[in-house]
Amino acid sequence: MTDVIIVPDGQLVRNLEVNAGQKTDMVLLIMPGVSCDVRLDVRLTGEGAEANIYGAYICGGNEKVNIAVDMHHDVPYCNSRQLFKGIAGGASKVDFYGKIIVAKDAQRTEAYQENHNILLSDEAKVDTKPQLEIYADDVKCSHGATIGRLNEEEQFYMRSRGISLEDAKVLQMISFIAPVLENIQDETQRDAASSEFESQIRNIIRNI
Amino acid sequence: MSKEILDNITDKEYEHGFVTDVEQEFIPKGLNEDIIRLISAKKDEPEWMLEFRLEAFRRWQKMPMPKWAHLDIPEIDFQDIIYYAAPKKAEDRPKEIDPELEKTFDKLGIPLHERAALAGVAVDAVFDSVSVTTTFRSALAEKGIIFCSFSEAVKEHPNLIRKYLASVVPVGDNFYSALNSAVFSDGSFVYIPKGVRCPMELSSYFRINAAGTGQFERTLIVADEGSYVSYMEGCTAPMRDENQLHAAVVEIIVEKDAEVKYSTVQNWYPGDAEGKGGIFNFVTKRGICKGSGSHLSWTQVETGSAITWKYPSTILKGDNSSSEFYSVAVTNNFQQADTGTKMIHIGRNTKSRIVSKGISAGRSQNSYRGLVKMLPGAENARNFSQCDSLLIGDKCGAHTFPYIENANKTAVVEHEATTSKISEDQLFYCNQRGIGPEEAVGLIVNGYAREVLSKLPMEFAVEAQKLLQVSLEGSVG
Repeated sequence: MTDVIIVPDGQLVRNLEVNAGQKTDMVLLIMPGVSCDVRLDVRLTGEGAEANIYGAYICGGNEKVNIAVDMHHDVPYCNSRQLFKGIAGGASKVDFYGKIIVAKDAQRTEAYQENHNILLSDEAKVDTKPQLEIYADDVKCSHGATIGRLNEEEQFYMRSRGISLEDAKVLQMISFIAPVLENIQDETQRDAASSEFESQIRNIIRNI
Repeated sequence: MSKEILDNITDKEYEHGFVTDVEQEFIPKGLNEDIIRLISAKKDEPEWMLEFRLEAFRRWQKMPMPKWAHLDIPEIDFQDIIYYAAPKKAEDRPKEIDPELEKTFDKLGIPLHERAALAGVAVDAVFDSVSVTTTFRSALAEKGIIFCSFSEAVKEHPNLIRKYLASVVPVGDNFYSALNSAVFSDGSFVYIPKGVRCPMELSSYFRINAAGTGQFERTLIVADEGSYVSYMEGCTAPMRDENQLHAAVVEIIVEKDAEVKYSTVQNWYPGDAEGKGGIFNFVTKRGICKGSGSHLSWTQVETGSAITWKYPSTILKGDNSSSEFYSVAVTNNFQQADTGTKMIHIGRNTKSRIVSKGISAGRSQNSYRGLVKMLPGAENARNFSQCDSLLIGDKCGAHTFPYIENANKTAVVEHEATTSKISEDQLFYCNQRGIGPEEAVGLIVNGYAREVLSKLPMEFAVEAQKLLQVSLEGSVG
């Protein structure tokens, strides 16, 4: 079952250990107005362990969002996946740090990490530090990070089909966040999260 | 199976490990203000240059050695280094080059005679602490191009040196740049005047020969408005059990619409298979795209050195300026490398591209470390970075540490990194088609690094491909 955490103001520290054959799924949701310092330390300690960590954040004001994830692959045959997507508007400041550490002899590891950000305003700032530290050779590891803006060609496409600029932006942002929310298994929870995100996105767009 | 194959591409020794038997002049070991005054006096420098050195030394004394890199650096005793060593005939040049020195550079494939030179390459040859000769100077001077040793430039073009020295890498920028500013010995100075396209490749070749010494090269390249130059740098050193320090500073100024292409093939002695000896290569290289539309491109092939600490960087200040960084870093045995780049976007519509390919084998550690920073004024700036690592063997490490900072909503930054190994499947595929095991590994590695190698000037590309193969010898599967 996915562990859905609505991150509160302040510090959130989680140390997870995933044993042989076990699987951990976690979705972190950070709503506008929340300034937080999230520290996750995930350790895959038994063969066949799997960890999937997802996160979405939306900031529209003066929030300071700090996310730090350490993913330790201590033994062979473990998989991990991380996907963090966020939107930074207003005068918010987002700091993302994520490290995949593959220990010596942790062969056949598959570890992936992605962090994508959209900047909405000139006062907002995003720093991202995805890192790989790999001491075994038979592994598949990758990370990707982007910081960008809403695509204007997409907006033009929608507007030429009668969708207002405001609605076009909302659609773009919803579809940007969706890949994170999709991982919430429970349907009621997922729908609740989606509609909450949608109304927050509309709020932010209105305030630009 | 792949273990044997990798074992088998083995045991060719470091080719450039010989020592030249030439009478040399040394100054005493150690570092203090008197030594700096002595170096300055040896080079017959003006007062302002000495002041610059002393100021740098005073700042260096207050600085700690940087520890943030993913490197295990043994304690360096800076008092146990000879900061100046020169072949004795120095005072006779440029009329006559010691035949021994000429032989040395010949052996290294660097022709010091213009008639014998590779067509279209002018060379500045630096042996320990002094520049031995600079070829094609008069031909270049006809076009107004200045290409000479740094020491000569201090005397002959003091205005240019005073204007540009330390304008990109300030004296107190970091520990090693401060040390270099205090004790630097020689290097190259290049000035390309307005609108001139340099007709030949310029090249500097650095050779460490004397034991117990350090080499502190200082290079300054200025490309004035609308000019173009391609500059190449190569380096080798003898095989010794001691570690020798090479701490260089390279500064590049690119004015409006000018273009500089800077290529390095770094082949310092990497130490033996047990990790004994080798060069510590702690280098600060930085360029500034000062004017609008300027362009700076870095290409590096890093195969040597026991420890590499090097981040060729670009400050993109002019609007519409652009920069590229292409790198192949190979580490084997006990080598360590922490290398990458910094792209600082200040101007509007600035673009940068980073392609880094790391290859680690043996028990080596190979890290990419890079910064991409979009400042608030960098409207529509764009960056793309790709950092791939290839692991050969299960005792080495490959690491990626990018830092991405964006403070402009119209700026777009993309970064991706992958880590993988040469798979049995790939080897099998090649074998099946009649390609021998050694060739197959060479083929795969060269293919992997191709995007970078193709950016090298022709003279370097051939050498670099061979180097890649040699460097991976003895890599344990």
